[in-house]
Amino acid sequence: MDTAFERIMDAIDIETYIVCSDANEGKKYAMQLGREMNLGEIDIMYQEFDGYGIRVRLRKYIYKPGNNYTYLNKEKIS
Amino acid sequence: MPKRILCVPFDPVHDVGIKIIRSELDKHGHNTVLLSPDLTPEAVVKIAAEGEYDFILVSRTLGYGVAELLARFVDLLDVAGVREKSKVVIGGKPITPELAAELGFDKGFGEHSTIDEVVAYIEGREISVTATGLNRTKKDIASKYDYEFKNKEIGRLLDSITDKLLKWAEDKTSPGVERAKIQAEILAAGNDQQRKPLLDKYYALCDDVIINGNSKKVFTKGVREVSEKELHNLNNFVHDSHPINPVKIQYNDGQPLLFKFLGSGCPLMDIMHAKVCERYGIDGFLLINPSWEARYEGLLQGCLAHENDGTITSFENIRLMKQSLDPSTLLTVRAHRGLNTPETVLLAGEAGANLAKINLVYGSLGAGTDPVRLAVDGIEAIRLAAKYKMPFDIPGNDELSGVPAWKSLAGLLINVMLGVKLGAQPILKPLFCYGPHIVINGMMSQNFIDYNAAKILALKEIVNSPIWPGEPIAFMTQSEERVQSANANSYHASLAASLNVDAITVASTDEAYSRGPICITSRIDTIRAITDAFRFVGNAKFEPTTQAGLFTEELINKITGTLREVNSKPDLTEAIYKGCLGNKEDGAYPGTFGNGTVKTK
Repeated sequence: MDTAFERIMDAIDIETYIVCSDANEGKKYAMQLGREMNLGEIDIMYQEFDGYGIRVRLRKYIYKPGNNYTYLNKEKIS
Repeated sequence: MPKRILCVPFDPVHDVGIKIIRSELDKHGHNTVLLSPDLTPEAVVKIAAEGEYDFILVSRTLGYGVAELLARFVDLLDVAGVREKSKVVIGGKPITPELAAELGFDKGFGEHSTIDEVVAYIEGREISVTATGLNRTKKDIASKYDYEFKNKEIGRLLDSITDKLLKWAEDKTSPGVERAKIQAEILAAGNDQQRKPLLDKYYALCDDVIINGNSKKVFTKGVREVSEKELHNLNNFVHDSHPINPVKIQYNDGQPLLFKFLGSGCPLMDIMHAKVCERYGIDGFLLINPSWEARYEGLLQGCLAHENDGTITSFENIRLMKQSLDPSTLLTVRAHRGLNTPETVLLAGEAGANLAKINLVYGSLGAGTDPVRLAVDGIEAIRLAAKYKMPFDIPGNDELSGVPAWKSLAGLLINVMLGVKLGAQPILKPLFCYGPHIVINGMMSQNFIDYNAAKILALKEIVNSPIWPGEPIAFMTQSEERVQSANANSYHASLAASLNVDAITVASTDEAYSRGPICITSRIDTIRAITDAFRFVGNAKFEPTTQAGLFTEELINKITGTLREVNSKPDLTEAIYKGCLGNKEDGAYPGTFGNGTVKTK
């Protein structure tokens, strides 16, 4: 059976709020979150520190244009 | 046979959903009884036990402790013997079939259920929710317009400018024009023997990068052929999966069609995105080519993927795209950037595309092509658009550098008159954007409505032509924050709907994100936002202030002034070189690709 990751059309975004004392600390935790979730290389799409923490969105591309899209390697999409 | 139905608004306040369903059941001839809201489970069970009902329909919004309450309610119905004579159904926004079954109900209807589904269930009918198809017809944007210039002075100026341009171009040709002619013969050739000498002629007019790609399959970095297996798999994806409950974005027929860009680099990814977007109601797509394609003489052939921005506009890629889309979905192909404008329009026409994107002013002021070359190529491209009966859309360029809107609009109008004279159907595409000139001069310091509205109102006062704001709307107003980005799109779309335009190009919520490709969820974000906005605004309007009228008058005056200046030059290319439609102070520079390549016939 395929992994769920292989069935993602292109990218996975994670939106959350991280409690932290400044933007740099928030960014470090955001990147750490990506590692803790075994996402490998991630990008911070958006972050805003508001004094209490950061609202943040992380993105991991599973497939980029031109890749071999594993989910298409089926006789039928079911 | 009519059913007896007890409708139970099992909620302290909310009973609108069950009232709507009851009304529909009554219309279908069923006998319904509606209880008052907020009765205790025991009171409802007593009523249900005393009456003779085929169905007990319960509506309830879930909250803390409600699941336990509903489970107890079902137990009470069991004990009272109601389950033996009545089916018990639950409905509410968060209800799923799984949750309904878990709580002990016979059936559950949630947020995505339709009233038809509820009625069908009550009546014991099957309702199909699979393989519905889009069930829509292809729209024609341009046919209802006659292109009458209501502003006679502007009409006369454009007549003179385009007459001079056509006369100037009469004895001129370019490698782009000649290649398009050869390409037409190549496509018509019956076999390789006929094709071979034509290809030799074609390659004689191409850059080495293109020759190596086509004849030796040696491509520039990041380009590769799509394999037969990939095409086979894509075909399965397109033909074995179907849109369920397709969405119509427009709430009424007066609201504009919605277009999205495609140009991830990979035709397969583009098509997968397009199929999902079609289901969410997108009416058409613009195929955007890579910027490097513009710099080379000649086009690559074959189904090709590219790892960076822009999908290669080969005949095979365009045809694959068109064949994969629903027949009702429109496809336009960007042709006006670079050295392959006529050929791109030819390929688009042959591959079945519906429109082509051409602006010979923008292409030579904001996109790097030499004005003389693009004037010659652009005229031929518009002729080809007319031949293939493809309306051509003319994007504005005031988002680039600091070109003022009136110069951009003047350029659009020149293309309109040229299109009319060449028998084509042009479409004006003024920008809905927070462009640099607007920012610097404070035209949007009070709101984002008045100046955008003024562009549309000015064009409508000048000519009876289709109008399709883009490109995309909300340009320069979107941030990387997705809610803001989706909202910005929905407000601009509502303004466009208020102004009765024909179509709009919308971005995704990834528009301001430049570090990676656009993903499918970000495309859906803006479509969903606009669908809601169109429902919200309906047949009402976003109302510009009186300032919009002043802006409109100013724009018309300045467009007239710009066109007078253009007309004072020997021909359009000279006017572009002299900066009449955007100068160095505006940050606009005539392009250099193809400089010196125009020849006398």
